[in-house]
This record gives sequence, C-alpha cells and structure tokens, in this order.
Amino acid sequence: MPPKTKHRKDTSSHQYDLRDVVIQAGDCVLVQLPSGDITGVKVDSNSTATIKKFGSFHTNELIGQKYGNAYEIQGKRLKVLPPRTLQEVEDTEATNEYINDGEFVQPLTITEIQALKEAGVHATDIIKKQIELHSSYSLKTEYSKEKYKKRKEVKYFRTFITIPPTLNNVCEYWFLKDQARIRDIRVDTLSQLLNLANVKPGGRYIVVDDASGLVVSAMLERMGGEGRIITIHDSESPPPYPVMTNMNFSPETISILSSLNWATADEEYTPILPPTEVETTDAKSERQKSRLNKRKAMTNHLFSTRKELFDGEFDGLILATQYDPYSIIEKYAQYLGGSANLVVHSPYPQILADLQTKLRNYPEWLSPSLTESWLRRYQVLPGRTHPLMNMSGSGGYLLHVIRVYDDPEASYTKLYRHRNKKTKADAGDSSTPVIEGSSTLSTPVVSLDEGSYHNEMQMTEDVKLSTTM
Amino acid sequence: MWSSTREIAAGDLVIVWMTRDNIQPLVVTPGKDFNSKYGNYRQADFVGVPYGSKVGSPSGKGFVYLLRPTPELWTLALPHRTQIVYIADIAFITSRLNIRPGSRVIEAGTGSGSFTHSVARTIGESGHLWSYEFHEARANKAREEFTRHGMTNIVTLTHRNVCKEGFTVENTVDSVFLDLPAPWDAVEHAKKALRKDRITRICCFSPCMEQVLRTVAALNEAGFTEVSMYETLLRPHEVTQVPQPQLIGEVSSGLKEAEKRREEKRLRQIANNKARLAGTEPASSTKRKRGDERDARLADEISRRDLNPSDGSPGSKRVRTEEDEGMEAEADITTVSVQVDMIKADENEGKLVADESRMEITTSPSSPTPTSRISVSNALPEVRGHTSYLTFAILVPFSAPSGTGEEAASTIASELAPTPGASTTAAPSEAQDKSSVVAS
Repeated sequence: MPPKTKHRKDTSSHQYDLRDVVIQAGDCVLVQLPSGDITGVKVDSNSTATIKKFGSFHTNELIGQKYGNAYEIQGKRLKVLPPRTLQEVEDTEATNEYINDGEFVQPLTITEIQALKEAGVHATDIIKKQIELHSSYSLKTEYSKEKYKKRKEVKYFRTFITIPPTLNNVCEYWFLKDQARIRDIRVDTLSQLLNLANVKPGGRYIVVDDASGLVVSAMLERMGGEGRIITIHDSESPPPYPVMTNMNFSPETISILSSLNWATADEEYTPILPPTEVETTDAKSERQKSRLNKRKAMTNHLFSTRKELFDGEFDGLILATQYDPYSIIEKYAQYLGGSANLVVHSPYPQILADLQTKLRNYPEWLSPSLTESWLRRYQVLPGRTHPLMNMSGSGGYLLHVIRVYDDPEASYTKLYRHRNKKTKADAGDSSTPVIEGSSTLSTPVVSLDEGSYHNEMQMTEDVKLSTTM
Repeated sequence: MWSSTREIAAGDLVIVWMTRDNIQPLVVTPGKDFNSKYGNYRQADFVGVPYGSKVGSPSGKGFVYLLRPTPELWTLALPHRTQIVYIADIAFITSRLNIRPGSRVIEAGTGSGSFTHSVARTIGESGHLWSYEFHEARANKAREEFTRHGMTNIVTLTHRNVCKEGFTVENTVDSVFLDLPAPWDAVEHAKKALRKDRITRICCFSPCMEQVLRTVAALNEAGFTEVSMYETLLRPHEVTQVPQPQLIGEVSSGLKEAEKRREEKRLRQIANNKARLAGTEPASSTKRKRGDERDARLADEISRRDLNPSDGSPGSKRVRTEEDEGMEAEADITTVSVQVDMIKADENEGKLVADESRMEITTSPSSPTPTSRISVSNALPEVRGHTSYLTFAILVPFSAPSGTGEEAASTIASELAPTPGASTTAAPSEAQDKSSVVAS
C-alpha cells in the first residue's frame, strides 16, 4: 500500500534534489507576505491561486520558477522583484517619541485611498502621497519614518516571497500556524531530536508521530530515500500526516515509510483481513480482479511490514505522542538493537520526568537526559541590535536514552575501594556524628542526575549502610 | 563512516562509556589492553560483542559499555583541540542551513571536528563537505581522524587560511558555515563558493556581539538577504522524586491539637497546684502526668517543625511515639524504593553501591513507588548560558528579468527603501574603520 500520502504527483519531472529549488506543478508552495505571515498556495498547472486580501494570479506564472523570488501581483500576472538587502531594517520597533496620539496629521481619507486603489494607482504612489500630505512626517526620526513606511507597505503592498519547503521553513510555518497540532515542536527542538536519534540515510527507525507528521517529515528529509521508517498510529487507515503535504516529497523519498497501527503492530495479534482469494468458479470481472489484487498487495505489504518490525534491530525509537510513552516503550523496546537511541518529545516535562523515573528501574537504559531548548531571535540592524520583544515560550522537552544490553554478572569496581575508605573514616573518627540513616533517607529531594553527583555518592553510601546495618 | 554491523569488529571505533563524565573513543585493537579505573580489559575480548553491550572486566571488578559511535557521542568523547560546537547549535545550524542528504557544504574552521562529524552523518555519501583549518597541526590531526573514521569520501580537509586565500571551490556549495574569529573577512570568498542557481545559505558563529555587527554589515554589503540572528541553548533538567507536598490541613489540625493540649495542660497544672496547696493530691495524677509529658513533647515537636521550614516535609523529622512504631514498616518501603531509584538511575552512582544492597533490592518489596512520591523536573542550577550568536543569511539568485517586472522592482527598491540604501553604505564604512583600527 505504498501511497502513504494523498498527495502524489507525476514523478518523471520531479527530482528529489530540486524539490526545494524549483517550483513544480502540483507543489504546495509557502509564500511570505509583507507582514511576515506565511501562507500556503497550491500550485497546479493551468489554474488560479488566491492569496487572501491580495487577489489571485495564474499559477503557471510560478511553475518552473526558483524559490526565493519576490513577486508583486499585478492583475493576474506576477512581476518579479529583486531581493532587497537589509530587509530586516524594516522590521523595526522604532521609538514613537515624536508622534502625538490623536493629532490630525493625515488629510487623506480612507475613502480617498480606497478610490486611488480602485483606480489602479500603485501602492508606492499611494504611500508617497500619504507621506507628502502627512503634516508631521518631517518631524519623525529616521527610525520612525522607516517604521511608518514599513507599516504602509504591509498594508498596501501586494507582494510575496516564495519560500522553499525546507524542514526549517515548514516547521516554522506550522509552529506559527498551529503550534498545538505539531505538539509544540519548535524547529530547534526538532533539530535536536533528529540529532539525538542519529537520523541519517540508511538508518532504520520506529516512529510514533502524533504531531501531524512533522517528525516523520523531518526524518524523511534527513534520510533522502535510504533506510526505513515504520510508524505506528491509532487509526484504521494510514495516517494523513498533513505536514508532509508541505514538503513536496518525491515518491522515492516517501517509499521508505510504512505504517502499522496499534493493533497490526501487536506481535501477539493476528490481523483480521478480508480474504484475498475468492472461491468462485465464475469468471471474475476485471474490477473484481483488480480489487483482489489490490487487497492482496495490501495484505502482503502489511505482513512484510509486521515481519520487519518484529525482526527488530532498529536504530532508534522516536516518540512524539499523545499516548503513554512508557506503554509504548514497554512493548517496542524489544525491537531496538544495541546502542539504539530512544528519543521522546513531549510538550510537558511531567510526562517525561515520570518516564525517566520508570526507565531508571531497568538496566537496559543508559544515561537518561531530559532537556528543554531555548531559542531567542535578535533584531540585527545597524545601531539597533536587540533581542526581539516576543519569543516562543517553549518547543517542548526531549528525553534521550541509549538502549544497552545489560550484563547482570558485571559488578561495580569502586565497591572495594569505597568500602575501605568508609571503614577507615568510621574507625578514624568515631566522634563524627554519623548521619542517621533515617534523616538522610527522608531528605525530601532525592537527587539523581549528574548535577548533584557528589551528593549522591554520599547518599548512596548512606543508604547502603543504613540498610545493611 | 563508522561500522553499521551488529557486532564490534577489530579496527572499529567504539565509544567506551564509563560514566557520564568519562566517555572515551577507542579503536578496537586486538593484542592491546584497555585499562581504566573501571577495570582492565583485553581489547580482543571486545571483538564479536554486540554494540551497546555492558562488558564486565575479566577480574570481575568494574564494567564498561561499548557504544556505537554517533556524532553526538563523539562530541562528548572527542579530544578537544579547540572550543567545540555543541549539539544545540549544531542541530539548529544544520536545519537552518538546510543541510540534508546530498548537500554540499563548506565549513571553516575545522577545529576539533565536532560539527564536521555531525554534518558528514547528515549529508551522507551523496553529499560533500569541504572543511578548512588554518592551524597546520590541528589540520593534520583532523585529517588523520577523518581517515580513521572512514570519512574521506565525504570530507575534504584543506589546510588554509580562508580569510586570506579563500576557498578551493567556486559556484559549488549549498551552504557555508563560518566559525572563525573574523568571519566578515571570509564573506566575499563564501559568496564565490556558493552556487548561484538556487537559494544558498550562510551561518556565522561568533561569541561576541561586536563580531555579529561586523558580520551583518559584511553580509549586507555582499548582497545577502534575510539576515537573522539567533541564540539557542539547551537547558538540561534534573529529574527527582519528591514526596507529595503535605496538605496544610494536616499541619493545621496538628497545631490545633497541640494548642488544645497545651491549654488542657495549663488548666491541669493549675488544678494540680491548687490541689497540692490544699494538700489533697488526686490518686490518679501520676499516671496522667506521664501522658501529659508525652503530649507536651509532641506539641513541642510540632511547633518546632513549624518554625523550621526546612524540616517541614513529612518524614523529615519523624515524631517518635509508640503509635509511630506501626508506621516504621511503611517508611522502610519508601526507603528501599528510593534506593532502587538511586542505583538504577545512572550507572555512575550504581558503581558505588555494594552488591549486597543490590541483592536486597531485588528481594525487597520495592515494587512501584508509593503514591506519596511524585516525579518532578527542574532546570539544573547552573547551565551553559551562552555559546555563540548564530548569524544567518541567504543568497538569492537574481538576474533582472526582462520586461515589465523590472520597472516595478526598481520603483519599489529605489523610492521606498532609501534608508536601507543609506545604512548599507553607512554600515560597511563603519566596519572598514573598525577593521583598519584592528589592523593597525
């Protein structure tokens, strides 16, 4: 059942290497508006696309164009604009010290502006006119003037820039559009997830993606059509993974992806499938035949995917899920190879803290680490460099652990040395108040990570003593 | 790049994990030993062992984990030749530079090779990385390393000062990463190396704001657009188990109880005094008095706990009374489960714990943590607060199209963007002034 996405296109003209270089017919193209907002446009051949409030244009104008160009909509045509250096200059928060609220400064009325627009006057001319008539424009600081112009441009310009469907851009787009649907995964957090999971061409991974397919898309992007991804999902039909639509992947890139659901991915369970052979002597109709063939192919694919999963030796288990992560790990960790990475993302630290506590009870998980990433953008303009006023609160949390093969025979080395030290200390200074086992143990916080390594050494020892005494 | 087989073979690079703070790379060489304070091993014994195995030392004392190398583990284990780039930055830069399988990338300088390994992994054999290092000894070391790691088909290392001499390729790469003291001197060279048939990207990695400003000016001057600057950090969290915070209702009723007893005691004392003065002591007084003392002690204990907030959590200072004996068993269960956590938490700690206590754990009624404990996480008290500023920009191929588009373009650019024009001219001259100062 290879078609994993609804979105398919003619493969012949669509080379993987160029999907983020040239706009192809059938692509979903992201465009950035003067306001900075990003919106998606479906570019089919011989059709018309509409950008809200901007008007519409013939999509053929975009097909074959390189990404990154700026366009102005004029009628139904598109005009290419040169890239503007220091575009960031416009993106400023200049002081409005010299602007007095409520003062009458602009004789040009909205109706007049509207009339100009309708008469087909170019946005630049309208803005020029507004500036000319503005009574206190000359009083403004340069920063303020610039900001004024920027504001007007955002209002009147009917320009947009085509944005290549890179992982970064698609993730940013979704994060701004609907953070909750991608489970708060910000691009920096996503990037870390990919690195921690060692996602690479040729790798084999088990993935649970309840983040609209963002994680799957990112992994497909980083695997370049080599390797294997098996996702496990919660519906009867293959998951739609809407984020993938924005990536414009080629069929070769997606070919490494197969999906099972929580029932079919259960080794104890035998999927109930319609029969692939129909016992009938009558000549089958062509339609019936093709249906049976399709069914057969699907059944075969399902069983081969199951076998592949159960054969194990995967390089990583990656979870961005709404379900209890431990219940997944409990069941699917057995399909991981040695030294495989487990990476779990959650918008909530509590879930991962709980998970980490549970994993500690099992020697096959080495060195759990829980991290949150932080990202701050700066405005960089000559003389005006500062962090942006608003920043994203969180991109969620990641728990990373390495799966190892335990050897229960292997013992701790420091044991003897440590015990000797302790005995000496006890003998040498008996007057030292021995920390009472009970008081140490009942210390409210039992710290377990590297940050308090020394405390733990001490505490572990105390625990030991108190329980052996 | 690195073995992908299930078992370790002679000549493989493995990451020997001893503790979180002690991770070493090792090329498995039969005939040689691997000695550490976590045991002495014959490397021949590592051959044939599955990657990810815990291996006990032949003497029975100590063990190590033999992990499959990843760029992330390599970053933790690598021999530092310079300050290195860590995962938060590496990951973010990789995404923003759109580095993916098949990408052609330039990196300068190579440094300790932390970024190099990560990029090589991501671009795979269909991609290529040109890495430049101006320090000859470091370049040679890095070259040896890349050869040992089987990366020569992906990485080309050149010993060269790119600020002076530029890069070895032109119109070739998709992205450039500059981790140099003066990246602005390499911006024009980078522009030459970038391919012009599509959007290409650059990232400059600089710890100081002054460097950022000069870089931004240089990027603008060279025609790069969409200049943006970021700072990204990783906040490690510590996961701990704490008792469920006590309800004030319990504290309150304890205090009320104590108050009541104190008052009763006072009244009794008055009554006793009166009785003593009257010379007629009640027969039952001795017995009751003992009880009073205990109550008083209890009240005392409670008020002391109240005054000392650090002892405020339940179980921190248990009031030892006869009634509490029964609770002791329960407390012990908590104790044991805490111990389980500590031992299993991280083998770091595990190494310090006696075998007997391990035995005890497995036999003790340790199973799930009592409901009174909850898992919490909080950021480590001290974290890396700043690595570098990441300045990004893109280069958009643009050849002025023939026809109507050009007019509109020039109108907008020239008439509405005088300030950008002004600052492009102002900024570089400022930069030049600075560089001349630095030069002189």
